[in-house]
Amino acid sequence: MSASKYSAVSGIQHEEPLVFEHAHEAPESISLPGVVGDVYAGLNTFARKKDAGIPGLSEPETVRHFVRLSQWNHSIETGFYPLGSCTMKYNPRVNEQVARLPGLAFIHPEQPEDSVQGVLALLYELQGWLGEISGLPHVTLQPAAGAHGELAGLMMIRACLDARGDQHRKKVLVPDSAHGTNPASAALCGMHTVELKSGADGRIDLEELKKHLDVDTAALMMTNPNTAGAFESDIKEICQLVHDAGALVYGDGANLNALVGVARPGDMGIDCLHINVHKTFSTPHGGGGPGAGPVAVNETLAPYLPVPRIVKNAETYSLETESDTSVGAMLGVIGQTGVLMRANAYISAFGKNHLHNIAQDAVLNANYMLARLKDAYHVPFKGLCKHECLLTDEYQNKHGVKTLDIAKQLIDLGFHPMTVYFPLIVHGAMLIEPTETESRETLDAFCDALLEIAAQCEAGDTEVLHNAPVRSIRRRLDETKAARNPVLVWP
Amino acid sequence: MSIPADLKYTKDHEWVRIEGDEATFGITDHAQEALGDIVFVELPEVGREVAAGEAYAVVESVKAVSDVYAPVSGVITEVNGDLEGQPDLVNTNPYGSGWIVKIKTDGAGSEELMSEALYTTFLEE
Amino acid sequence: MRYLPHTDTDRQAMLKTIGINKMTDLFADIPAAFHLPLGSLNIPEALSEVGISRKFNQAASKNEHVLNNACFLGGGTYNHFVPAVVDYIISRGEFLTAYTPYQPEIAQGTLQALFEFQTMVARLTGMDVSNASMYEAATATAEAALMARRVTRRKNVVIAGSVNPRYRAVTDNYLSRLDGSYQQVSMGKFGTDLDKVIAALDGETACVIVQYPDFYGSVYDLAPLRAACDAHGCLMVVAFSDISAFGLITPPGEYGADIVVGSGQALGIPMAYGGPHLGIFTCKQKYLRQMPGRVCGLTEDADGKRGFVLTLSTREQHIRRDKATSNICTNQGLMCTAAATYMTLMGDAGLETIARRSSAGLQALVSQLPSHVKAADGVHYNETVLSFASQQARDAVLAAARERNIFAGIPLERMEKGVEPLHLLVATTEMIEMDDINSLLAVMEVAA
Repeated sequence: MSASKYSAVSGIQHEEPLVFEHAHEAPESISLPGVVGDVYAGLNTFARKKDAGIPGLSEPETVRHFVRLSQWNHSIETGFYPLGSCTMKYNPRVNEQVARLPGLAFIHPEQPEDSVQGVLALLYELQGWLGEISGLPHVTLQPAAGAHGELAGLMMIRACLDARGDQHRKKVLVPDSAHGTNPASAALCGMHTVELKSGADGRIDLEELKKHLDVDTAALMMTNPNTAGAFESDIKEICQLVHDAGALVYGDGANLNALVGVARPGDMGIDCLHINVHKTFSTPHGGGGPGAGPVAVNETLAPYLPVPRIVKNAETYSLETESDTSVGAMLGVIGQTGVLMRANAYISAFGKNHLHNIAQDAVLNANYMLARLKDAYHVPFKGLCKHECLLTDEYQNKHGVKTLDIAKQLIDLGFHPMTVYFPLIVHGAMLIEPTETESRETLDAFCDALLEIAAQCEAGDTEVLHNAPVRSIRRRLDETKAARNPVLVWP
Repeated sequence: MSIPADLKYTKDHEWVRIEGDEATFGITDHAQEALGDIVFVELPEVGREVAAGEAYAVVESVKAVSDVYAPVSGVITEVNGDLEGQPDLVNTNPYGSGWIVKIKTDGAGSEELMSEALYTTFLEE
Repeated sequence: MRYLPHTDTDRQAMLKTIGINKMTDLFADIPAAFHLPLGSLNIPEALSEVGISRKFNQAASKNEHVLNNACFLGGGTYNHFVPAVVDYIISRGEFLTAYTPYQPEIAQGTLQALFEFQTMVARLTGMDVSNASMYEAATATAEAALMARRVTRRKNVVIAGSVNPRYRAVTDNYLSRLDGSYQQVSMGKFGTDLDKVIAALDGETACVIVQYPDFYGSVYDLAPLRAACDAHGCLMVVAFSDISAFGLITPPGEYGADIVVGSGQALGIPMAYGGPHLGIFTCKQKYLRQMPGRVCGLTEDADGKRGFVLTLSTREQHIRRDKATSNICTNQGLMCTAAATYMTLMGDAGLETIARRSSAGLQALVSQLPSHVKAADGVHYNETVLSFASQQARDAVLAAARERNIFAGIPLERMEKGVEPLHLLVATTEMIEMDDINSLLAVMEVAA
């Protein structure tokens, strides 16, 4: 291994104990504001019998503790994150700066509407833009994440079907390549899913779809491009078939990055689409969240949008909290406003004249990597991919090397692995999504790493692959031990 | 791959030992190997009635989860409490200490079961 | 475009490697009818960084914020102190721009912070275990109801009318498409009447949900509820909207609650007009496998060193699909890191000081109210209902307070539909100083 070629080198890394293991007593509490006086009359009778056991550290120790922990993380700012279906792109710093303005970060959600016109204007503007980008003009910003958006969308579909007298329609068709959230959201909405077997090209098989569409079908949930990175070219026929059967089409917008500014799900016949702004519109993932999952719908579903809704009357904005047809509230507040501010800023930076560059460069990058890797790795579905490309470990399997080994070796070469073992429709899946914000230099380095691993397999030099990673702060972790005897809190 | 001769098998890779109106259920060596390290077995309540083909327990590995179906019908009389602390018994001794439940059976469903020889052929197919 | 690294030369070279001629050929698999004319969307032209900054500054300047105004607003979101260190830590790219820690070898920072968060939250609520967060309190309450249905294999849910109306509405929404009943027990006062709640329980009840301190800020003895839940075999679910209370008062876990859910926004997270906030979800150890959401667990690596992983994922949607404990995927990961940092800075002593001062502010206010303003009965933590003789009198106070840069309270009917427009829901935190209280009292004297 030529260590100089890749960025990962050893540096000073610190072990850091848990806060509970710092062995000194809590220092004087930091200075706090507020009223010094008696607590509410009678409250002392409810006082805790014993301390909670939250160890306090001084400010310098707290900073050092968490900064050291931060240094154990891979992040988009430190390296490439080619996670398929996750859209890990650069998170612009100006977005962080503007979201932290006191006039946006320090406002209470129950302030009178005349005191929050600025934030309402930004939210209203984002609603309109998402409607325009998706081709589905009616938008709710309330859902807190993609799965939450799915639930909101399915609730609207349920309400629409009920209004049509189709209470019996409870079957949701879901391709076998779908995200796990799809069937889980359907179940939560009182519906059941039937899995559609993908065709030989990884796409929806029209015959299979026809076979399952019937008078009990409520909806088809589909991701387009799908989770194998392929565009569902039969989209028009698919939507037509579903609509003819009296059902609706739900679009999982997780892969919208392939289409931004280039084509619109609403134009294709999709009735309802959730948009993961933490993917397509670059709000930071934060180690697992927060995200936001606005839902865009067409005229058919518009009456059922959740409340509150942001409405504009002349030049003032207000919240509409009552609606006879609405599915109701999805969240206790208006939405994850801070996340939505960042999405607004990302779209602002591209504007109408550059939005399509997002999809173009994202798709260019994925196809470039596919072209460089297709001889060394098995490509289950031929042809152009969209914003992500799907490979498998079929060739490397012959040498006893699995997707997991390849993923872990990438860590030693300084990369976050691609999405592994998803989608489930191929064995040993490796799903690579480079996004539009990665340079050719980075893409080449990652392809070189994968080609080098493939060559190691061919040469029978596989020991190192099974042992990887060795350079990370921890080596492979024992997940069986964690699950057999779960320890979720420090004793 | 171990397939004892004195047991009967299902297509879902469960085994059953029938002794009079008593039956003991578990999952086969093949099943435990396919699942990997078992981390949890969700056991049913004693006294529950199960029909042949009905899911009565759940076995979990780190990344997979599988329902376990009753080979024959009956009423659960005993569950293997050892699995609560040592789910790995299903891995290490699937036909012995890794048994899951005992039931009092009426025998319904037994006509569908496979012998050792048939199960061996089934696995090879 | 400044976020895109390629030059046109790069693009041409890459197209050549792919074997196609132009960028639009990359989309040849999309039917021509669906190709948008590029640049045709009804969205303004691109803004420079300076342009973005100006636009947001202008919008922000149209909002009034709580750095310039005294904030007596609560109802589930509270203006507590946000230490600079907390915002600094979560601004670090290594936390901010990391993905979900599915590759634990290179995500130990996020994972250890989650483990510390889970531990501190469990200790603060007095519960056995915590997950790695939910979206916010209302959905956490709904998920608690769903979890109780799984644990008990019963379908009916009883909820006290003194639970935050938003939590009740979202829970209603989540349950309404499933079978089973959802009974909201009307309290008839600005407080919690446990006798009424207990009378609604029976052998079919999966769980009862109460809030403590309740929506009106009142604190009461939960012990009778535990006894009643035992008698009926249902789960005791306790919601809360300001976790800072448990720096001082006996937490729900000490009363034997089975599931405790609520908002952790008070733990150093800005109000941000609704979020992102932090949903807390804790339960007894024995119900762990029915808990929704991600959890982080302790383990060791191939060299025997201590490490952390996301665990028990077979409960979750990406494996269990339609049989998952919830459809939730995303958590509020960064907010967990914020809360862990905040609690580490505060420690037991700091948390108690914050709780005492939050409550002392309310005591100072309520004990000096003019005679025409009545505070709700009972023992309160940092929130209560103030009642006026007329809507006119109340609204006059609200308006006069605004002129002195005070948000005096939330008109109760804004959150609780159907109540007479005579009441204000008023909250205090350690950010309220005695001067603010005196100003509000002065406004009340004059305005009414």
